[in-house]
Amino acid sequence: MLSRELPLAVISVDEEVGELTILVHVEHLIGALTLLRDHADALYRVPVFVTAVDWPDREPAAPRFDVVYQLRSIEHNDECRLIVQVPEDAPRLPSAERVFAGMDWHERETFDLFGIEFTDHHDLHRILLPEDWVGHPLRKDYVSFGEPVAFTHNLEWALPAAERPRDMPGESR
Amino acid sequence: MAVLPPMRGAGTPTRDEGSEAFDRGRSVLGVDPGNDAIDLVQLDDQTMELNMGPQHPSTHGVLRLVLELDGEVVRECRPDIGFLHTGFEKSFESHTWQQCIPFTDRMDYLAPLFNNLGFSLAAERLLGIEVPPRAQYLRVIMCELTRVASHFLWYGTSALDLGATTPFVYAWREREKILDINELISGVRMHTSFIRVGGLLADVPDEFYALVNEVVKTFPSFIDQYELLITKNPIWMDRTRGLGVLSPDDAMAYGATGPTLRGSGIPYDLRKAQPYSSYDHFDFDIPIGSHGDVYDRYLVRMREARESIKIIGQAMASLPGGPVNTSDRKVALPPRNEINTSMESLIHHFKLVTEGFHVPHGQVYQAIESPRGELGFYIVSTGGNRPYRCKVRAPSFSNLSALPHMVRNELIADVVAVIGSIDIVLGDVDR
Repeated sequence: MLSRELPLAVISVDEEVGELTILVHVEHLIGALTLLRDHADALYRVPVFVTAVDWPDREPAAPRFDVVYQLRSIEHNDECRLIVQVPEDAPRLPSAERVFAGMDWHERETFDLFGIEFTDHHDLHRILLPEDWVGHPLRKDYVSFGEPVAFTHNLEWALPAAERPRDMPGESR
Repeated sequence: MAVLPPMRGAGTPTRDEGSEAFDRGRSVLGVDPGNDAIDLVQLDDQTMELNMGPQHPSTHGVLRLVLELDGEVVRECRPDIGFLHTGFEKSFESHTWQQCIPFTDRMDYLAPLFNNLGFSLAAERLLGIEVPPRAQYLRVIMCELTRVASHFLWYGTSALDLGATTPFVYAWREREKILDINELISGVRMHTSFIRVGGLLADVPDEFYALVNEVVKTFPSFIDQYELLITKNPIWMDRTRGLGVLSPDDAMAYGATGPTLRGSGIPYDLRKAQPYSSYDHFDFDIPIGSHGDVYDRYLVRMREARESIKIIGQAMASLPGGPVNTSDRKVALPPRNEINTSMESLIHHFKLVTEGFHVPHGQVYQAIESPRGELGFYIVSTGGNRPYRCKVRAPSFSNLSALPHMVRNELIADVVAVIGSIDIVLGDVDR
């Protein structure tokens, strides 16, 4: 439906374990969401969640972040997922809170945990973490646990955070 | 700074000191910031900011609200959340799939089994395995018992918020019986981790049947008692009817789910709409409200508890036999006697215990109907033994985001009733 009404918006459509995933151009995101909400064949009127997935190891040309929009249609008992890709050096995209009031908090959470900016959001600031928190924890390069003790097998931990190698022994523990 | 009644015109929250609202309040009053303890200047056309929580008994956890008041009327409400943020989603990424289960318990701590179930179903869909019918039925029974416990707790605490003490004591008495069942099957009362990827922790002991049948037999009359206490109680009705109204369109736009959505008259329940874990085998109704107010949400929850007991009764009557874990040895541990005789099983056992199973590449969103609404797990796997990314779609989070809309232009005394009616669990909101 979306590729018929807004052919420029859609990059690819994918179906996996029975779920529809549509990859959309970022400049057509708001148009696509509005269409999915209002079109009689779609009526995806419930914003289920917004989140992001960090892919730092993609080829250099590919954008680092997938921003994921999950929508639900109660009328048609159906769900769909929109994915928009944003690059690492300019992680921003338009806010969808005017299309779905419920996306407000989800966008703030995505901003908080991934550092992705939603440009015309009315009140974009951290929601779960304190305002003075440094960093965005759900990025893959954010080390998730405190200060481990450096033993001979993990001397890298004695290095300052910026100089530590990305994959370090003990990281999974 | 004033400790008890906040001064008119000045922002009071301690954490907001130096904030714009706080300074604005002070400058309007012409108060010296070093000496603003008492000031009774009356100002017209001036709203007051009131800090509510995070340590407030009626916010059901550590929720902080900043209310902008005009007299006793709430003009604006700004929830401040995150006090219980634990970073579970980050922790998922560094733990094996099975190790993630105990984390899920601790998110919505009043309905831990639903979190287990949602995560397990999502992982099982990626793995492409089906759990045996007995496990599916036991999952349904345990989840519905948890729903009853959660609704009972909600009933007790919400009534307590509005000054009714008796319901609280009654509801907790019955909830205790369900926690006893939890303890019987898993050894712990709340964070059971009973539902695992591939099946269950273990089969249930023999005492289980009598206890659950007792619940099925006696609980409808307990719910009658509860309803007798407050359903027609004039104080309860006056305090809750017409309050915190959420229209069907607004409910959908905010992503409200569960009794909050059904209270607004939309009969959408994932157990019916997208049946999982054999819910399509059972006959039950979806109660809905008509006005979308606090009273309707109360009625919906009480009727839902009755429907849950109906489901438990049906599931107990037709509980199939057989194993409770998948026979896929790449996912579930082999039985002990097999390990003694089969080299293959020993290897599987070793691999599962040391590094866990690997889940094929892909992404999945599995939503289930928790007592609070749509609880979803969006999981991305890159084929490893840990989730690459696991997003928890928490029902309380979306429901709470509709709170400012619901309390706008209501009285401040009614804010606690509205918070109660959306049944938030702050562990679920903050994750």
